[in-house]
Amino acid sequence: MRRILAAAVAIAALASTVACGNNGGEATSEANQARGPIKVWFSNNKEEVAWGKQFVESWNADHPNEKVTAQEIPAGKSSEEVIGAAITAGNAPCLIFNTAPAAVPQFQKQGGLVALDDFEGARQYVEERTGEKAKQYESPDGKLYQLTWKSNPVMIFYNKALLKKAGADEANLGTYEDFLATARKIVSSKAAPFAIWPAPSNEFYQPWFDFYPLFAAETGGKLLVEDGKAQFTDDAGKAVADFWSSLYKEKLASQEKYNGDAFADGKAAMTIAGPWAIASYGDKVDWGVVPVPTKTAKPAEEIFTFSDAKNIAMFSACANRATAWDVLKAATSKEQDGKLLETTGQMPMRQGLPAAYPDYFAKNKPYETFAAQADRTVEVPNVANSIEIWQAFRDAYSKSVIFGQQEPAAALDEAATKIDGLAKQ
Amino acid sequence: MRTASKPIRVLQFVALLLGAVLFLFPFYYMIVGSLQAEPESSPAGAFPDPGNITFGNYREIHGAIDLVSSLINSGIFTGGVILGTITLGLLAGYALARLEFRGRGAVFNTMLLIQIVPFQLLTVPLYVLIVRDYGLADSYLGMILPFAINSTAVFVFRQYFLQLPRELFEAAHIDGANEVQILLRIAVPLVKPALLTAVLLTFIGPWNEFLWPFLITKEADMQPLAVSLANYISNVSSRAANPFGAILAGSCVLAAPAVALFVALQRHFVSTNLGSSVKG
Amino acid sequence: MTRLLGKQPVGALFVAPYVIFLAAVFAFPLGFAVYMSFHDYFFAAPGAIVDRPFVGFANYAAVLSDAAVRQSFVNIAVFLVINVPLTVALSLVLATALNKAVRARTFFRVSYYVPYITASVAVVGVWLFLFNSNGLVNAILGPLAPDPSWLVNETLAMPTVAIYVTWKQLGFFILLYLAALQNVPKELYESAAVDGAGRFGTFWAVTMPGVRPATTLVVLLATVTGANLFTEPYLLTGGGGPDGASTSPVLLMYQRGIEQGNPDVASAIGVILVVGALLVALIQRRLLERD
Repeated sequence: MRRILAAAVAIAALASTVACGNNGGEATSEANQARGPIKVWFSNNKEEVAWGKQFVESWNADHPNEKVTAQEIPAGKSSEEVIGAAITAGNAPCLIFNTAPAAVPQFQKQGGLVALDDFEGARQYVEERTGEKAKQYESPDGKLYQLTWKSNPVMIFYNKALLKKAGADEANLGTYEDFLATARKIVSSKAAPFAIWPAPSNEFYQPWFDFYPLFAAETGGKLLVEDGKAQFTDDAGKAVADFWSSLYKEKLASQEKYNGDAFADGKAAMTIAGPWAIASYGDKVDWGVVPVPTKTAKPAEEIFTFSDAKNIAMFSACANRATAWDVLKAATSKEQDGKLLETTGQMPMRQGLPAAYPDYFAKNKPYETFAAQADRTVEVPNVANSIEIWQAFRDAYSKSVIFGQQEPAAALDEAATKIDGLAKQ
Repeated sequence: MRTASKPIRVLQFVALLLGAVLFLFPFYYMIVGSLQAEPESSPAGAFPDPGNITFGNYREIHGAIDLVSSLINSGIFTGGVILGTITLGLLAGYALARLEFRGRGAVFNTMLLIQIVPFQLLTVPLYVLIVRDYGLADSYLGMILPFAINSTAVFVFRQYFLQLPRELFEAAHIDGANEVQILLRIAVPLVKPALLTAVLLTFIGPWNEFLWPFLITKEADMQPLAVSLANYISNVSSRAANPFGAILAGSCVLAAPAVALFVALQRHFVSTNLGSSVKG
Repeated sequence: MTRLLGKQPVGALFVAPYVIFLAAVFAFPLGFAVYMSFHDYFFAAPGAIVDRPFVGFANYAAVLSDAAVRQSFVNIAVFLVINVPLTVALSLVLATALNKAVRARTFFRVSYYVPYITASVAVVGVWLFLFNSNGLVNAILGPLAPDPSWLVNETLAMPTVAIYVTWKQLGFFILLYLAALQNVPKELYESAAVDGAGRFGTFWAVTMPGVRPATTLVVLLATVTGANLFTEPYLLTGGGGPDGASTSPVLLMYQRGIEQGNPDVASAIGVILVVGALLVALIQRRLLERD
């Protein structure tokens, strides 16, 4: 044991000398002017890769001295891990076309991101493109570290055949009361084992697909945390928690995780998902789509939801930032946005989307509903400790709402106290 | 060795068979599931249904992944690790078990420590070290380095060398053999089963490892099979006709070479000549 | 000279490459983790100017006062109490049985080894299917099935994970024992037979002492695997559910360190875990390697 201790002390001493050897800042203004070849990363989702390929090819054909090299990163859980490690090692690419807004505060704290405000006209470009919503993506220091790119506003998909089998009216999902009544019919008639099956697991991002969209709808677009204070302890937050709590208590939603897609497999008659799902449910399920429910009926055009957006960020390891900025603008031009919409079915974050691409939406009716919804979305709050806050929320929600170990109202109050502390730091 | 009476042998056989069924069932289910066109999650799905069989899941993998280059990358990665472990790890294991030298206790305890440290604790600092300080991003060497000598295997070697009777080594010393000769001519042949066990154990680690080679290589043509399959799984799982089947098919593809290797090597796990050679 | 370098200094030469390897790859990150645990640390880009003050034992205090962390250590204790004895007993008994000339020996060995070599993602998928509320296991148990079902039941989640890991790893430990059994001299069995020892007597008096180094190995490796438990609660119980009943320290390290960007807190958990596991391992070694 003594030997181990001695070795450990020696190792720690060695590490501390290395750890302190950080050298100072770089000449950022020089990098901001520089042009040359750059690297970018795309998500590995098939359609996005196809879109990325055509974009890179068209860019490279016009810019032989500023070539773009593209690589894929996983779309799944580990991408934030990979990006975080790359920032620390100093080998992050110039642009990542799949930056989760929830991870932006962390990347920023790491010194990994370039503020877009450094480039002329950037602020104006983003505001013209996205409108009012762009405000949600501003960081606490007042700067913009992400270019609003695309969203996947989530809505309720329902399985027409299963609802019919249950003898339920498909138009009757607007209020909590109606939704619960329909859910009871689905389960008691054995049309499907469960009415709806959000993942009941404990990952920090799961609230985005159960609590948060309904909270956004109930509050008319409030964020989880605003002005450094948790917002979900009011009547709206408690009503949403009680609603989900009833679904779990009456076994209308499952406490167990489904291995696969419960909606696609007919194990649940409803699901919460964004437009990306249309392609995969397309011919498997005869589905319809409605906005998420609210406590008392609201017209569809007043209902907010969660955006599930992915943005583009520029990383500080980038040497040729002037080129990167040009690529950023070119990739989000009206033409490229249109191609993105066509190949992926995801919603470019532009104002007045349906009007901008009338031909596409005329041909692809199902997407039109989502395009309309895309105007009313809320994002995750852009605050420090963002992921820790979501994890604290999920822990409390899981304990009370899903597993019924505590009163939801009390659990939410406790979580709010913890989150207020985290948001202050 | 005594042979047991017949009823006991039958009983033993039945017990082993039941155990084997318990162990194999999930695996069997994997294969059945990977061949289903439509996911069938009821108990009936455990039996192949001729109307629901397809090779589509496998065909899709073949179309999406360059299996040959992935296999070559896996081979280089795994081969490098095995080579390092068999040569340098064997030397270390032998020294730790059989040779008295200053610092042996410290090395052994460090080895223990390394066993216990969870990889999640080291990932990011290790990544920074290998990429920034050693400059090994996007290289096979960077992929291999953290696994180059498998500490568990060193540990296994040590335990088996410890098990060999002391007299054997004393006799060899008296005959004037040096340590390298003793290791290669006496010790290694005697622990051949253990050696193979360690090779297989070493094989499984890098073969199934996903996160590290993924972190180190961003270019698809450098990625080992486990990485390409994980990528494939996260890609198709929401879109394939049968996502569950796609995952299972991917896992079968990954497991098949390992099972094949095991079947090929398995008869070497037992040596029959030990009893006589130890007598001396 | 002998006193200074030991009886066989050539041993130092033999272990030198391994020691260099450990120093080059592990010493730095490990020392770094210890360093982080005493600072308000986070990973930053090269060149970024950040403030990371020394905070003494603050991270440790935070970790130890965190109910979730304490629960994760209790969970691991439950896990080890179930997993380690079960692993040792089953793998030794099965290896002994497989070592005899039984019919279809190859088939048996391969079947016991298959779970170990198959990637976790798939095996976990199948287990989820077997152990969910409407799964095959509950269908067989009928009215005896637990409610809530295995993996969402607070009392049963951790034991189910422990049994899963036993099953998944057993093939590897059987192999270790099989190899060890080759080195038990046959003469010992013969003389035991001459002395008229029964089957259990022989097992107790010859096999068990004969494979003791392997037992030490199995106990240690099983303990270490348990202490490093991560993939199973991550995949099998949806991130340590229900309500943290199957969270492991490494899972928390992953959440705090990598997901939430607090490697300092994660390192403190890691250091406590390593010290704890080391103590358990050294005690086990004392008990098992005593001659």
